Amino acid sequence: MKRIKKISLVLLVLLIAIQFLHPARNESLQQLPTDIATNYKVPDSVFRILKTACYDCHSNNTRYPWYSNIQPMAWMMANHISNGKEELNFSEFGGYSIRRQTSKFKSIADQVKDDAMPLWSYELMHKDANLSDDEKKLIMNWAQILEDSLSANN
Amino acid sequence: MKKYFAITLAIAVVALAACNSSNNNSTASQTDANKDTTAAVHQTQDTMPAGMNMNNTTTVSVKDVIAAYLQMKNAFTNDNTNDAATAGKNLQAAFINLDTKTLSADQQKTINDITDDAKEHAEHIGANGGNIAHQREHFDLLSKDMADLVKTLGTGGQTLYKDFCPMYNNKKGAYWLSETKEIKNPYLGKAMPACGVMKEEIKQ
Ligand SMILES: [Cu+2]
Repeated sequence: MKRIKKISLVLLVLLIAIQFLHPARNESLQQLPTDIATNYKVPDSVFRILKTACYDCHSNNTRYPWYSNIQPMAWMMANHISNGKEELNFSEFGGYSIRRQTSKFKSIADQVKDDAMPLWSYELMHKDANLSDDEKKLIMNWAQILEDSLSANN
Repeated sequence: MKKYFAITLAIAVVALAACNSSNNNSTASQTDANKDTTAAVHQTQDTMPAGMNMNNTTTVSVKDVIAAYLQMKNAFTNDNTNDAATAGKNLQAAFINLDTKTLSADQQKTINDITDDAKEHAEHIGANGGNIAHQREHFDLLSKDMADLVKTLGTGGQTLYKDFCPMYNNKKGAYWLSETKEIKNPYLGKAMPACGVMKEEIKQ
């Protein structure tokens, strides 16, 4: 019994200790010249969806929920965001090669069509990221048109 | 009690140190990313798949790249998602180790542009064994990259065929490269193996 007490005390101290650690937050105030919106036409209807359903993990600006201040949640989120940005970062989209931009437009359309994105685990926490069929179509058409025009011109 | 307190403190300090170092890493990479957006684009692509050692690998030629691609293509014609994944990992490694030293600066730029994109597709195909539909989405883009790669580097002596499947992807169609004259469709697999036409014979 004494032992369990000690172990839980250690864990409690650890849990408190890690609360003082804060991973760098994914928040950038300035809009980069590489931002998708400065390089491509993004209609308001599309932009609204990108912002609510994609930008938290695929841009340099995350809207952090309250629990992001609690460890180990903060680490999990930081990890998630860094993976997401590695795959696709709308803030740095214009810095990609034209070839990679073309690929990314196709992948955006494919991932939305296949219901692979947004992740279901993300939709669980963000109800507004659960896209309707019309919203999906909007994103798919937008991405596909840009993919087609890029591959036609290059 | 004093002793236990000391132990607890020690553990906490160690944990703190460990967490801090990982913390610093992420901060560093983040500032790097902000500093140089092109670097951020490329940095993620340079990780080696497990089992490959950069120092031990001999230089990779276009022939090896084509071999890994054809291995993947043939896995898709057989609807074999796991073999395609294995080939994806091989191909990713081949792209990373592809020797471009003898090329002109211009050609190097072209090839880097292609392999930057292509190794990402190879990586996704390697990581998505079990999801052949998604693997094929990447194979479509990868095949475009391969056709461009061969345009610059040649085929390493073998004859390749550029084939077209008009039905795949909602009749948008998709290309692939093959080593055989006979059509064996990697997009539709065993469901429609003969669907497709040869568009170009690539000799070099
Ligand atoms: Cu993928």
